[in-house]
Amino acid sequence: MINRILALLIRYKNISFGSVPRLLSIFYWPTVQILFWGYFTNFFMSNESFGIWSTLNIILSAVVLWDVLFRGQLGLTMSFFEELWSRNLPNLFITPLKDIELVYGLILTSFIRTLIGVTPAVFFANYFFNFHLFELGLYLIFLFFNLIVVGWSIGFIVSGLVLRYGQAFEELAWAIIFIILPFSCVYYPLNSLPEMVQGIALILPTVHIFESMRFLLIENKLILSNFIIIVALNIFYLTASTLFFLKMIFVARKRGILFNQGE
Amino acid sequence: MPKTSIKTNNLSKIYDKKTVIDNVSINLPYGGIIGVLGKNGAGKTTFLAMLMGLITPSDGEIFIFDKSLEFNKYEILKKINFQSPYVDLPKKITVMQNLIFYARLYDVEDPKKKILKLSEDLFIKDLLDNIYGTLSSGQKTRVNLCKALLNNPKLLLLDEPTASLDVSTSEFIRKYIISFQKKNSSTILITSHDLEEIEKMCSHIILLKDGKIKFDGKKNELIKQNKSSSLKEIFLKDD
Repeated sequence: MINRILALLIRYKNISFGSVPRLLSIFYWPTVQILFWGYFTNFFMSNESFGIWSTLNIILSAVVLWDVLFRGQLGLTMSFFEELWSRNLPNLFITPLKDIELVYGLILTSFIRTLIGVTPAVFFANYFFNFHLFELGLYLIFLFFNLIVVGWSIGFIVSGLVLRYGQAFEELAWAIIFIILPFSCVYYPLNSLPEMVQGIALILPTVHIFESMRFLLIENKLILSNFIIIVALNIFYLTASTLFFLKMIFVARKRGILFNQGE
Repeated sequence: MPKTSIKTNNLSKIYDKKTVIDNVSINLPYGGIIGVLGKNGAGKTTFLAMLMGLITPSDGEIFIFDKSLEFNKYEILKKINFQSPYVDLPKKITVMQNLIFYARLYDVEDPKKKILKLSEDLFIKDLLDNIYGTLSSGQKTRVNLCKALLNNPKLLLLDEPTASLDVSTSEFIRKYIISFQKKNSSTILITSHDLEEIEKMCSHIILLKDGKIKFDGKKNELIKQNKSSSLKEIFLKDD
């Protein structure tokens, strides 16, 4: 009996510690949880003057908008993973479909999937909780579109890594946005973070998006410079991640790994 | 009509210092069924994948229908198709949805009409509304063959087309491939471990060993050259 249990232990140790992303996920999650809830509680306690409903409105807006990013990223990676899981990539890549056409197809699919996924959530929140995300007006479209672009950028990076390094990186598809969550200042302002971390956080477009959202909801004003930074960062990240994904397809062809992908 | 179907000049593929395809130069005529033979690890699948642009050669050139694959890839891919038991279609959608998708990628005119015609020929008409993942391996092979014929390929690459199929389905597939070749004057490249199958279907043989061409010519010449009565005997002798 001991031998068999030991065999299982060794087997699951090999599976869990056999890849860097899996190893990271074991150590990373507890830290992320502590950091996230710590910053969130600080913000909540220091803003009692807002009133509970205003604070909740900010939090609900952040929840819905964060989900836009999550859906956007999953919509892209899952569409690509479907081809991988069904061992269909060789069929796809021997058609006249160009790599860039695949990129456009994935982006459009993700956009439609996100709209379908998020729209009912917004209406339910509006109906049941008297929550007014639409108070953001036209800026909502701007924030929505930019968050989905962040999702695409992350999606292309994850898809490229899985294509190149295999299924061990699939876990990243679910985990990666929670890795950036504490630094994205979704539920608390940038100044809640330690100064050193703030510097790193500023390179994330999500920080500027959620800072803008909060400013709009609290002060009913927009920070134009933030909007410019959001667009500039998104153009940079989307271009870089798309090029990375295309490069990974090129490398996959070179290393002959398009043939061996799948369940 | 192009002079050659496939021409390769000093084609090589090297992975981490291991040579999988070693300086392969061939010049295949247009039309006919050509067998690519070799033991496991001889480089057959890598060779086929390079002809479709799925694997980039480390060295050398590929010409399909007299045009460089490197510089005319998408134009050439319109005329090529491929089937392998190791490559599948998405399992959660219907056979029809899968086939329509590929018909669109190949710009097939009137895709539904084409699919209905092919599905009748391949006896899969009743399966069109079934979820692909629920099909048996014999049914999947016929659906994949249907996918491979959607664009009336002038070059069809078949990787072990009858692997793990029962005798009657294998025979059906073989006959269908032969009749398709005659009707369309296409070039068909087949890899298979079933030497009797290759002997029945192919007039031209390419024999690969350790990534090198060991023989490239008429099937009868190979048998004669080896003083054997069948391909199987040649393989057994080589052991």
